[in-house]
Amino acid sequence: MVVAAHPLAVEVGLEMLRRGGNAVDSAIATAAALNAAEPFASGIGGGGFMIIHLARLNRTTVINFREKAPGLATPGMFEDKGEAKEEWRTSSGLAVAVPGALAGWDLALRRYGTRTLAQVLAGAIAIAEHGFSVSSTFSSINKDEYERLLKNLPEGSCYLNEGLPYEPGDRFRNPELAQTFRRIAANGIKEFYEGDTGHRLVAAVRAKGGILTNDDLALYQAVELEPLKGTYKGYVILTAPPPASGGLHLVQFLNIIERWPVQTWGHNSVAFVHHLSEALRFIFADRERYLADPDYVSVPVEWLVSKEYAAGVASRIRDDRPLERYPFGEYKPGNRDSANTTHLCVLDGDGNIVALTQSINDFFGAGIVPEGTGFLLNDHMADFADDPESINAPRPGHRPLSSMGPLLLFRDGKPLLALGSPGGTRIFSSLAQIVLNVLEFGMSLDEAIEAPRFFSFSSGGKPGPIAVEARFPPEVISGLREIGQEVEVREAYDKYFGGAQGIMILRGRGVVHGGADSRRDGVGGGY
Amino acid sequence: MKTEAICLLNILLFSAFISEAPRNGQQTEGLFEQPLLITSAGQNAEVQIAAVLAKRAGLNYTLSKQATAAELQNIKTLVLVLGASLKGLGAAGLDMEKEKERVMALIAEAHQTGISLLCLHLGGEARRGPQTDELIAEVLPRAKMLIVVRSGNTDGFFTRLCQSQAIPLIEVEKTADAQAPLEKAFK
Repeated sequence: MVVAAHPLAVEVGLEMLRRGGNAVDSAIATAAALNAAEPFASGIGGGGFMIIHLARLNRTTVINFREKAPGLATPGMFEDKGEAKEEWRTSSGLAVAVPGALAGWDLALRRYGTRTLAQVLAGAIAIAEHGFSVSSTFSSINKDEYERLLKNLPEGSCYLNEGLPYEPGDRFRNPELAQTFRRIAANGIKEFYEGDTGHRLVAAVRAKGGILTNDDLALYQAVELEPLKGTYKGYVILTAPPPASGGLHLVQFLNIIERWPVQTWGHNSVAFVHHLSEALRFIFADRERYLADPDYVSVPVEWLVSKEYAAGVASRIRDDRPLERYPFGEYKPGNRDSANTTHLCVLDGDGNIVALTQSINDFFGAGIVPEGTGFLLNDHMADFADDPESINAPRPGHRPLSSMGPLLLFRDGKPLLALGSPGGTRIFSSLAQIVLNVLEFGMSLDEAIEAPRFFSFSSGGKPGPIAVEARFPPEVISGLREIGQEVEVREAYDKYFGGAQGIMILRGRGVVHGGADSRRDGVGGGY
Repeated sequence: MKTEAICLLNILLFSAFISEAPRNGQQTEGLFEQPLLITSAGQNAEVQIAAVLAKRAGLNYTLSKQATAAELQNIKTLVLVLGASLKGLGAAGLDMEKEKERVMALIAEAHQTGISLLCLHLGGEARRGPQTDELIAEVLPRAKMLIVVRSGNTDGFFTRLCQSQAIPLIEVEKTADAQAPLEKAFK
């Protein structure tokens, strides 16, 4: 089974499985296909994390292919830009971190796959070459990002349709991306990290004021990590550790929730939303205080995910009203709160599983395409902190803190659920709500993913509003307001809350369920 | 094959004619004077598209996403691109109430100083919803003409509003098709 954010990518992943590839082969084929079919959300110009479960060995591992800061990065590199810093962080050459996607795909294939990189890129090449009909999701995102694209894209770029955003039903083709994938298939990832494609990438970044060098590219390496472990009422969660923060925060969040009678409160009841929102506000303070690249910074992971820590937080939350102050944290809600990024899950016939989240950060990344290559470059330097004193400030070789959190959930030692989502800092909150919908409220995976979501945060010790989808019952919204919560009503199915994909394996019934999010173009397929 | 091609061409030409024709047969050409100020009502992304269409149409325009009344000096036409975007409002540090205040102040100033109002809705179905519709219902009755991308008017919302106020309405199939009626609308 394959679930991903575009039907063509799902078909590519399924075809790989049909031809005897394993879950890793299929996941990488799907990831590459998403670069062609959903190019605004991820691709070889970006990076990510994947968690792989090897059924025969009963072993789970993580591949970290998160981007890195260039060697010339400095903590004050954006602060120095004054009022224009947001523009530099997201829409310039300085926004581009060293991409890791290809290195990560290649590492996973070499260690755990059965197919070559050339074989898994074939599906992506076909999609890029033949094109597809643009969906309303693609079109609306293309329109939303139009201003940035106009600024950076060359005339005639395939990412605009004769200089204007694509309309639903228009044909999108990307023959230059097909050619790039062909060169990589022929020459290996050296083509990207040391060859002509890499040189074009560096030239494009530097032409837009960036500092990335050929050496930065040549030195990039994806790495394999031990998963981060958490538990929720006897279920085991394995997820990507820092510099991915999504998994860690999810474990923290569930540890706190574990102490509360959520079934008694009821799904999306006033008490449920109030308590969980309060917990989120504590977690956002931790995010800015403690989390950064653990290769360079000591992150107190064990303490943060401990049950004792969760008990301390839970004891400070009031039942009847929000707190006036929360622990001080520097988290700033982005003013560009799109649901960027993409997630896919694959389960093969042998029980191997991959949950992979990848991104170029904002939709359409930095809006920069290296000449003649057809792929978009990330703006993940924006995931470093504003403040030069922050532990997550940009520094040479550091990986910016990520919100991603691909996860596997185990029951009695066997995988029950593979899950992940885009959605920026909403990722862990959305994933936790889906997990609770399944485990506490007995929903099917698809129901759990489609159910209305909410989110909150704290910033500088003050609470942010509770954002809810418009499908929340009016009495819950008014109930929250009555106890002093500020509520912001968003769209009924809002991409702001992510676009989750998951696979649930119900061994007792011999059934596998795929769940894909209608907040994006997610679909699942199996055979 | 050739006959089929000619038929297809005829259909396309007919469609183009239909798509540009105002629904109620009112005057839609040469109604407005230049220069024009383009701004959004709802901080949508389509305001940038409107500016590109105006540029392609050779119009003398200024784009100001958060225009204020002071920017209407020497302007002959105010172009409001309709549609609320939560993302856009957030990026501008505005909420819907503040945005509505800004837009209504702009319209009031335009009305007082004899500046005509042209409205565009280019975002299609994706740029509709309770917040957008509420704003449109307040703004549109003050307009002299509306150009709308058809997918935003499948429920007849704009048609009903325009008919009730005798406002000329031009429906176009795609965003790019809005360029021609926009160009013709100006002297």
